[in-house]
Amino acid sequence: MLKKILIFLWSLALASSVWGAAAAGNGQGLDTNTASATTAATRVSNDAAERRLEGERRFHENCGRCHAAPHKFPPRMMATIVRHMRVRAMITDEDMHLILDYMTQ
Amino acid sequence: MNHCDPQTGRTFALFRLAAGRAIFLSFVLSGVLSAVLPASAQNSFSERPVPILTGNAGYFTNVEDGHTVLSPTVNPVLLVPMGDHWLIEGRGEFEGDFERPDGGGPFGGTVDKELNYLQADYIANPHLTVTVGRFLTPFGMYNERLYPIWIRSLPEEPLIFPIATGSSDGLMFRGGFSLNAKANLNYSTYFSAGTENRVLEADRLVGGRLGFFFPGPRIEVGTSWQKSLQEERANAFGFHFAWQPAAVPLNLRSEYARSNLGSGYWIAGAYRLSQLPFWQRAMRHTEVVLRAQQFFAGEDLNNEEAEEYELPDSNARQADFGLNYYLRDGMKVTSSFGRQFSPDEDANLWTVGIAYRFALPLGNLGAQ
Repeated sequence: MLKKILIFLWSLALASSVWGAAAAGNGQGLDTNTASATTAATRVSNDAAERRLEGERRFHENCGRCHAAPHKFPPRMMATIVRHMRVRAMITDEDMHLILDYMTQ
Repeated sequence: MNHCDPQTGRTFALFRLAAGRAIFLSFVLSGVLSAVLPASAQNSFSERPVPILTGNAGYFTNVEDGHTVLSPTVNPVLLVPMGDHWLIEGRGEFEGDFERPDGGGPFGGTVDKELNYLQADYIANPHLTVTVGRFLTPFGMYNERLYPIWIRSLPEEPLIFPIATGSSDGLMFRGGFSLNAKANLNYSTYFSAGTENRVLEADRLVGGRLGFFFPGPRIEVGTSWQKSLQEERANAFGFHFAWQPAAVPLNLRSEYARSNLGSGYWIAGAYRLSQLPFWQRAMRHTEVVLRAQQFFAGEDLNNEEAEEYELPDSNARQADFGLNYYLRDGMKVTSSFGRQFSPDEDANLWTVGIAYRFALPLGNLGAQ
């Protein structure tokens, strides 16, 4: 019985994963439409600066609660460390992406 | 799985029922959350993660009531990412405990070896991670986040740390997401199969934790629950709180825990001296820590259990003062003085040591 429940629930998890990925794709499409309404180069530059500032803020809010700011590791190491911390400290998906961008710039 | 208690059949059936319910509720919760919450933000980062050997090493000298113990410690952590959704991670613990024999002579002793966790994490979606294997029991915040020696503010763990923590063997669901611009929610729920294997020792239990983080005031609150599915089938409860005000470099943390073994709390404040107007070069690397804590022994707690769980065998109060100096990233010199008050005997506790965090890539880092 337990085995059947586990198989059923794993299927639910996979379905929910596909659902999340599809929803993320839709969100990206909306962003593209919005971006086309303004000057592309200026928008990209401003977005990058804002994203960096937001990433720094999220870093201090999340990571700074437990430990001091580490120096920046190479990008491929940072990708692993942030994935580890996402699980360990239950950082939200949005925070994780912003922190990863900030820590690899 | 170990079924060695006398009521094996009934206990195991109840365990399966409780575990099944916990799993089902977790998936229902995560499914609902996936449907209701917005999907993740897209990032511009495209680097592939590389396996890493990280962890920490330290050397501590503890003097308790005039008795000196030397404790070298190494905690290697292996992180192996696989694809976009998987992470295999494990942590071992090697801790020496060396002291002079009663009649005098050179220091001698043993090295304790433990497997803290060895788990496979599957990031199913932005709101759910499924963990299988041996994992740190999510109860309170100290066990999962503050335990590493390069992170903890004081070298010694709080008195209540052994209550409902340690490691579990089984299945866990966890995640975190933003409720709105002002609040994040995180959750964990798990069940553990009991085993008496020396390396994988764990109790048979179910539990969960729910936490809220408010980014504006930087306040975190949470509550934990755990039910043992063996012997006395006791419940354990806990609460945790953390506040990191933006205006001052202060970290204020506190935990409360209660089980059949006892109850207690600790509250600690760690303050970086970076705002002091003098000796700036040294002060910005210096941190002072104050901690107050109390433990109330449970009626069921006997000397044997106290020793097994590393809890005080009677009521105890303790005040600690610590001083940390951060030499560089991930490396600090740490020291503390504590005074423990107990009906048996009051004692002074001195500790001085050094802690270091290392991180080495186990693969090609690509173009830098």
